[in-house]
Amino acid sequence: MGAVAAAIASSVFSQNPETLISGPGSTLTETKCKICHELQHIRRTPLSRGEWADNLKNMKERGTPMTQAEMAVILDYLSTYYNREKPAPDPSPDTIATASDDPMEKLLGAHGCTACHNVDKRVVGPSFKEVAAKYSGDARAAERLAAKIRTGGQGAWGNVPMPPNAGLSEADAKTLAGWVLQQNN
Amino acid sequence: MDTPKKPDASRRNFLTGVAGAGALASLPLKDALAQAAPPNTISNDMVKADKAKAMQWHSERPLTGSVPAHEHDFDVTPNDRMFVRNNLTTPVIDINAHRLTITGLVDKELSWSVFDLAKNLKTVSMQGMLECAGSGRSAHQPRASGTPWLETGGMGCPMWGGVRLVDILKAAGLKPGAAHVAGQGGDPGLVPTAAPVIRSIPMRKAMDESTLVAWAMNGDPLPWVHGYPLRLVVPGWVGSASTKWLHTLTVLDAPFKGTYMTSSYVTPRTPVAPGEKMPAETASTEGWPVKSIITSPAPNAHVKGSGPILVRGRAWVGEGKVERVEISSDEGKTWQRAELAPAPPLHPYAWRTFTYEYKPQRSGYVTFLARAWDDRGNAQPAVSRWNPLGYFWNGWHRVGVVVEA
Repeated sequence: MGAVAAAIASSVFSQNPETLISGPGSTLTETKCKICHELQHIRRTPLSRGEWADNLKNMKERGTPMTQAEMAVILDYLSTYYNREKPAPDPSPDTIATASDDPMEKLLGAHGCTACHNVDKRVVGPSFKEVAAKYSGDARAAERLAAKIRTGGQGAWGNVPMPPNAGLSEADAKTLAGWVLQQNN
Repeated sequence: MDTPKKPDASRRNFLTGVAGAGALASLPLKDALAQAAPPNTISNDMVKADKAKAMQWHSERPLTGSVPAHEHDFDVTPNDRMFVRNNLTTPVIDINAHRLTITGLVDKELSWSVFDLAKNLKTVSMQGMLECAGSGRSAHQPRASGTPWLETGGMGCPMWGGVRLVDILKAAGLKPGAAHVAGQGGDPGLVPTAAPVIRSIPMRKAMDESTLVAWAMNGDPLPWVHGYPLRLVVPGWVGSASTKWLHTLTVLDAPFKGTYMTSSYVTPRTPVAPGEKMPAETASTEGWPVKSIITSPAPNAHVKGSGPILVRGRAWVGEGKVERVEISSDEGKTWQRAELAPAPPLHPYAWRTFTYEYKPQRSGYVTFLARAWDDRGNAQPAVSRWNPLGYFWNGWHRVGVVVEA
């Protein structure tokens, strides 16, 4: 049992820090890429701009939810900060991400929620309003939704699974759940 | 938290069931699902619990891992040392509900359970090599995009059990124009928009008697991460051809067109300079070129100089036969022929063990290089041709040891 607990602890640890060099587009790049894979895949292999363009096209084909405009931002970011042909510039503020200082929006973006969910429209997952409506009248809604956000699920909204958010703290999951449940108003 | 229960007992029942049409049993889904993992998948920790301590994990999402060459010193690769390369997640599939559908250019569509396959067709055992296309990638300079497999990682050669793909195709009957067979697996992605992993192989390889639809690995049901309950085994070819969690075979008149065929698992049709992007003209990756690894002694081992040092390794090739293996103890100036185990006639795609007795002349540091040749005159190069996705590394493997007085 100790070995298993240690293995889990080490696997969680090895995913940290899940960040890229801060710069214009770093937040969007982190958000999109870590939906499916760890960011070490980027950090350990700088590529040329042409290879990054191929790589992004490949990831789009494989199903990453991202628009052409978002791909352009990510390509510029990756070929500036992870380019094998030239050294990375010093970290700088992500001017693209700071358009919103709303902490809730930051939290939703950082954990990839908005890749699949919208407040009032169904994207690949249910809208936050629909989720809130489903839990209305449930006394333990906040607790249950927070758990669901962390573990993911399948079946409640169809067969497309929601991936788990293993990197999300319990406190942040509670914050997110509380916010989602308010969207019913 | 409870230690995950190993479903060994029921898995053995399952195997007996296939062999002797006895009792059927499935893996306990509840235990698997109790782990923190997306629905209907099992956690990486549960996969790792069944693996050797020597496994080096290169990434968690997707899960990839392998053992270094000196941990591969087995004629038949044990399950716990077989490399792991997922594109997506590790699904939990109920064998009792599972069906293999054969569709496309066939006279008769089939939908068979694993047990139907075992009952209707001849069951076979075949030892065959599987190796990830990117095995050895970290030796390519500059570093290519993708899992940084060790120079000697990302391969294995277990004994597979199942039925021949050709027998399934014959049972369904091929229509004129049938040229490729595409395998699709049931591994879910982390986003609902994830493209399914579909790869196709040309008919000549599909008809090869060693190409199997397998349910057993070294006499046990396939481990979860290796495709339970059913997978393709396309030995000698890049691992991605051997679709895990196989549920559909589609017979096509041309190669399947999809991202795992056209954007991944391709090499430039003509060589490009290291660091260049993928050119427009590409070729799909198929059989591995000739390759060998030294599996003993381990790098930097201290060995006694009083007697001979036994250098042992494994050699294989994706198409054709390994013709000879040579060892150099002077950095490639001269080469001596190693003893090569006979080719097993029923297992043309199995790796073969080679041995070489080196008589130390002095104490100190000694290096060994291994170079295999195939029967078509191809030899392993000192350094493999660079390509943008870092595939097919088969450069000479070099191991140094310290000879003690």
